Amino acid sequence: MGYLEEMAKYQKTEKQEIFSADFLERQQIDDYEFWDEIEIGKESAVPIKFEVKAEDMKAYAEGVPDANPLFYDEEYAKKCGYDGIVAHPMFTTQVLFFLLSKGHGSWIRTPGSRNPGQIIEWHDPIRVGDVLTLKTKGYDKWVKRGKYYMRYQSELYDQDGKLKMRGFITLILPKSRADVLRFVKGEHALEA
Amino acid sequence: MANKLTFESVNCGDMLPEVKQHITQEDMWRHAVTSLDYNPVHTSPEWCKTAQVFGLPVTVMHGNQTMSLMATVITSWAFPVGGRLKKIEVKLIKPVPEGSTCTYGATVTEKHPIGKGQDFVALDLWAMNQDGENVAVGTAQVTLP
Repeated sequence: MGYLEEMAKYQKTEKQEIFSADFLERQQIDDYEFWDEIEIGKESAVPIKFEVKAEDMKAYAEGVPDANPLFYDEEYAKKCGYDGIVAHPMFTTQVLFFLLSKGHGSWIRTPGSRNPGQIIEWHDPIRVGDVLTLKTKGYDKWVKRGKYYMRYQSELYDQDGKLKMRGFITLILPKSRADVLRFVKGEHALEA
Repeated sequence: MANKLTFESVNCGDMLPEVKQHITQEDMWRHAVTSLDYNPVHTSPEWCKTAQVFGLPVTVMHGNQTMSLMATVITSWAFPVGGRLKKIEVKLIKPVPEGSTCTYGATVTEKHPIGKGQDFVALDLWAMNQDGENVAVGTAQVTLP
């Protein structure tokens, strides 16, 4: 059994079932934006939205794993003074991966990418029924010790235009489409 | 103890209860499915044998799973009393290969008495592997009632 089939056993939510999991698929890679193409300062609003369901929040907490009932038990959440269950703060990872599949922002999916660190601010908890939209902006890119860094800013807003999360996310990426394609074939490319 | 947690009750130097996690390939697959981060560096042992993104021929844990577990130290401590994670800043220092066992912890370093509903504490965060090496460090800001 291949690794994609192994992972399919863990799918529980509607979004997990429709999400395209093969990050090495050539057709997906053709839609990515590569380090040497990134336009710093360009802001883009992702055209699709993420409607938050309880199953999405519960699944993320299980995958951390974080067994805190606040993430799945309405009654417990109300006893703690909340108006209902809230999402684990890093649930925003699921939201970003769901929304960023092509073009500006697709860097997070690039085979060969590395994550050296992040800054995330949460302005309001994510709740069931929130309909989230994402704005992404290339913030900076640089070369250091032969590696290609970039930093982008992501902002998630709810259906009322309220800011929920702002992140400054740094990545080390393969430099070009050719380097990514070498990675797809399982070859070294980062220091090329 | 969690029920008595307030901004007033917290002191600089307080250490939060630690979280410990052994990471298997199944854990990484489960995290990939739930975070939707299916990058093969975390999910395909076969691909990693040659791609060696981190100079290792094995899969490594998602950086965002490390950050999630660092956040869990805080959510377990502060969320049941109405605390809120305002900000986290994390530097991922070393890759965490499959089979590692890491411990995640935090220490209160600052108290900011801004006003009711806005009072927050600052914390140092760390994630350490079974060899006592930090795999990630960071800081956080947490509001407390």
